[in-house]
Amino acid sequence: MTGRLVLPQALRDEIVAHARAEAPKECCGLIAGREGRATRVIRCTNASPTPEVRYTIAELRRVIEIEDAGLELVAIYHSHPRSPAYPSPTDRREAHWPDTAYVLVSLRYDAPVLGGKGPFGPELHAYAISDRDAVRQVTLES
Amino acid sequence: MKTIVRLPGALRDATGGETKLAAAGATLGELIADIDRRYPGFAERVLDGTGALRSYVNVYIGEVDARTHGGTRAPVPDGAEVMVIPAMAGGAGAAPPRSRAA
Repeated sequence: MTGRLVLPQALRDEIVAHARAEAPKECCGLIAGREGRATRVIRCTNASPTPEVRYTIAELRRVIEIEDAGLELVAIYHSHPRSPAYPSPTDRREAHWPDTAYVLVSLRYDAPVLGGKGPFGPELHAYAISDRDAVRQVTLES
Repeated sequence: MKTIVRLPGALRDATGGETKLAAAGATLGELIADIDRRYPGFAERVLDGTGALRSYVNVYIGEVDARTHGGTRAPVPDGAEVMVIPAMAGGAGAAPPRSRAA
């Protein structure tokens, strides 16, 4: 994949809203688009039995629907409610989509989650994760 | 009777970039073997050393999750659409220590 992803602010806001709604559980979903430009956020169900620290996207077949609509899966997103927006060892070990960006949102300093005490707000970053667990940051553009 | 097999995402490189192909077989294992004859190495990508589906490879035969219906022995009805989709999973993995300010 290229090292850039166009993710408009409205879609970033949608991802953050999803993360806040699911906290303290991790949220997850898909980002559809075309040629590295995101156009749609699709909220998915976290089917993990330990959703506070893991995610498993339940609706895998949505990927087929995205392609049938003439779009591409440009990114997979999930939240880290209490840890940085950086791929954890679990994220790297379970990444099997090397051509798709992974968008992570962290709420560790997010005011609504911390009862209004957060000083910085949510963090949101994107990465490419290769089959060999290598992590490379993907530049986000609006 | 040919079955349509859909291969989104990370498995495309195992089929020369094809994302939708026709394959023959009465069971999932036969389908995989048929694709592997044309695209050597495909079976290794989706099956482990024992011949079972890899843990992160999900296969749907129509609406049926193949893993819960015999794995590679799962029957493939005529005209069914088969989807092979790698898992999307991960997560923080462990709860960090609570902040003293919390």
